Amino acid sequence: MAVGSIATRGRTARQTWKQSKFGSWVTTTDHKKLGILYVSTGFIFFLAGGIEASLIRWQLSTPNAGHLSPEAYDQIFTMHGLTMIFLFVMPTMAGFGNYLVPLMIGARDMAFPRLNALGYWLLFFGGIFMYASFIFGSAPNAGWFSYAPLTEASPGCFTQGVAAMSAQAQAQFATQNLQLSCFSPGQNPDFWIIGLNLLGISSLVGALNFIVTILRLRAPGMTINRMPLFVWMTMITSFLLVFALPSLTVASFLLLFDRHLGTHFYQAGAGGDPLLWQHLFWSFGHPEVYILILPAFGMISEILPVFSGKPIFGYTFVAWSGVAIGFLSFTVWAHHMFAVGLPTVAQAFFASTTTLIAIPTAVKIFNWVATLYGGKLRFHTPMLFATGFIAMFLIGGLNGAALAVVPFDYQVTDTYFVVAHIHYVLFGGSVMAIFGGIFYWFPKMFGRQLNETLGKIQFWLFLIGLNLTFFPMHILGILGMPRRQYTYPPNLGWDGLNLAASIGVLILIAGVLIFLWNLVRTFMKSGVGMADDPWDAFTLEWATASPPPPENFKTIPTVRSRRPLWDMKHPDKADWLTEGH
Amino acid sequence: MSTVTHQTAAREESHTPVRGLGWYGMVFFIASEAVFFANLIAAYLYLHVHAGPHWPTLDLDKVLAAVNTVILVSSSFVLTFAARALNRGNRRAFSGLLLLTILMGATFISIQLYEYVNNGFGPDKNIFASSFYTLTGFHGAHVTVGILFLTVCWFRSLRGDFSKDNHFALTAAEMYWHFVDVVWIFLVLLLYFVVR
Repeated sequence: MAVGSIATRGRTARQTWKQSKFGSWVTTTDHKKLGILYVSTGFIFFLAGGIEASLIRWQLSTPNAGHLSPEAYDQIFTMHGLTMIFLFVMPTMAGFGNYLVPLMIGARDMAFPRLNALGYWLLFFGGIFMYASFIFGSAPNAGWFSYAPLTEASPGCFTQGVAAMSAQAQAQFATQNLQLSCFSPGQNPDFWIIGLNLLGISSLVGALNFIVTILRLRAPGMTINRMPLFVWMTMITSFLLVFALPSLTVASFLLLFDRHLGTHFYQAGAGGDPLLWQHLFWSFGHPEVYILILPAFGMISEILPVFSGKPIFGYTFVAWSGVAIGFLSFTVWAHHMFAVGLPTVAQAFFASTTTLIAIPTAVKIFNWVATLYGGKLRFHTPMLFATGFIAMFLIGGLNGAALAVVPFDYQVTDTYFVVAHIHYVLFGGSVMAIFGGIFYWFPKMFGRQLNETLGKIQFWLFLIGLNLTFFPMHILGILGMPRRQYTYPPNLGWDGLNLAASIGVLILIAGVLIFLWNLVRTFMKSGVGMADDPWDAFTLEWATASPPPPENFKTIPTVRSRRPLWDMKHPDKADWLTEGH
Repeated sequence: MSTVTHQTAAREESHTPVRGLGWYGMVFFIASEAVFFANLIAAYLYLHVHAGPHWPTLDLDKVLAAVNTVILVSSSFVLTFAARALNRGNRRAFSGLLLLTILMGATFISIQLYEYVNNGFGPDKNIFASSFYTLTGFHGAHVTVGILFLTVCWFRSLRGDFSKDNHFALTAAEMYWHFVDVVWIFLVLLLYFVVR
């Protein structure tokens, strides 16, 4: 009797907890809530990574500055890269995917709701784990790619090499008391290995969920060839994750074993090979950069048609060029390794595939421009970010193609030219798309619109700030300024350009502050009474209330074309009337 | 709540899926696992090719490995017979054969541990030893997970959870077990017999 009542009380307590404001978010398996959790967690890490970036530019604003010690600088630039890639862009894209994919394909939820929650909480705790490393003073400090043998730990990693030396050489080593303990005896790389594997599992279960959801839960009539392009790109990204992440897992576990179990995988003196690390890491790392940009392509392909008032130009080409990029992304990894002395044939191969991958990317850019052509353009904030994306990503694509030219790559390997390239594709590309996406889908998620004027000011600050920060880095790279150095001497012709880059960051900070103010302002406003479809959009996510009810749709819609909402709003001009299928 | 909505969504589909969502999830999960082992094997072959004639070898007990291979591969067949027994509605044979599969898996792991203890080298001996322990160790970890997976299924079979039409957990465990067996065939050939 007593036992029963305790059990009942426990059940009621659990019920109350699940229905409480806080508990309902912690225990949720709803794709919309998890999507919002993903995006907001990503945004908090964006701020953290932004603070790290600001510290980097503060340190580099003048030559021989002493704001940060070399040790602190190494940890901060490494965590900046890791944060922006694994804790900001990937979770944010996963968040938009979670929120939008079921709505866009007319489903009630993801295929595996509880797995979805697992993915989010692994991200949450993985992120906390990574940042906890600062408490121990041992944040990862060997760059986001953590090259071996720099990340090796055990004193054993040279013992075999020393054993092979002549007695005389050994004696010399002993008298000079040379430090033979290898390069990273601290826990810094261990935080990197374990943290990234937690985040890797999170991404993997998320990707499996997207694939099954997209393949199996589409509404009646939503054929693969009618799916919104954001859904296409999320699907391709998920396949890339499923097939690319294992390389990172293998690379990092072999390093873990080298560090703690005495294996020799990356130790040249003992039969291992440091280049194995680079091959394994980049065969994950290059698909990874497409994992960061393909969802952005998808967002742009949703935003541009709506604000151009016409369907996307060449849907099939946009979709299948994404597939081509997905396949090719597995064949280009060694272009990160031109400077290590690969055989000429290998260099020619990887230079060719890298040039080849520019073609499907260019196809997309031409399609976007053709979508704008002849359209009734409405320059709302999402559209500004989308057009800004095209221009900035184009620059990032072109300087990337320059890096595919082997002799040029020799010249600028490991310089700021590479930093300029990745920031044009990641900031000019992914970040611009993410903010476009936030302004576009914010009304869907929260039933209220962000302020347009503040949004437009933010856009121009971002556009000017990012060019002022990253354009000078091209020149710095060509002038030979190396990456990952905590300072530089004066009078090398680098001073003015570095100062300009640092001033650019101040403009970017102003843009972020305006966005934060915009957020606060929008959430403070009460009762806005916004229309369900404020942008006059085309796709199914806008065919339900904003924000949508828990079950998404009262009745699952039937789809007859690529623009189901257009068809509903204009039955006389419906796409399927003219498409002939 | 979520399960309910999600079942509704599945029911509302125009064509009811022949296989459940979980089956598709397992297929892509195993695909990812396969790429994981492919990467391990590629790393091994990369080091092997680069070492050329300097590649070290160590004495391994080939007879024991062969016996162990037979045990593990046979266990896959036993598991298939177990699933067939369930489909015929023979629950006793099903539980029994499932338990036999688990015991065969446990025997495999025990023999592997015996070999680890008695082969006279550790992972720091040389690059072949490093590779040997890493490859067989990852595989052994997977077999252990498979044993746990099957054990859960076995307890559930005693509770009568599975029937002819409702046994996805068993199907998933079966897919995983067969996969782990196939991986072993590659590893045993690489490490003991062909490319050592």
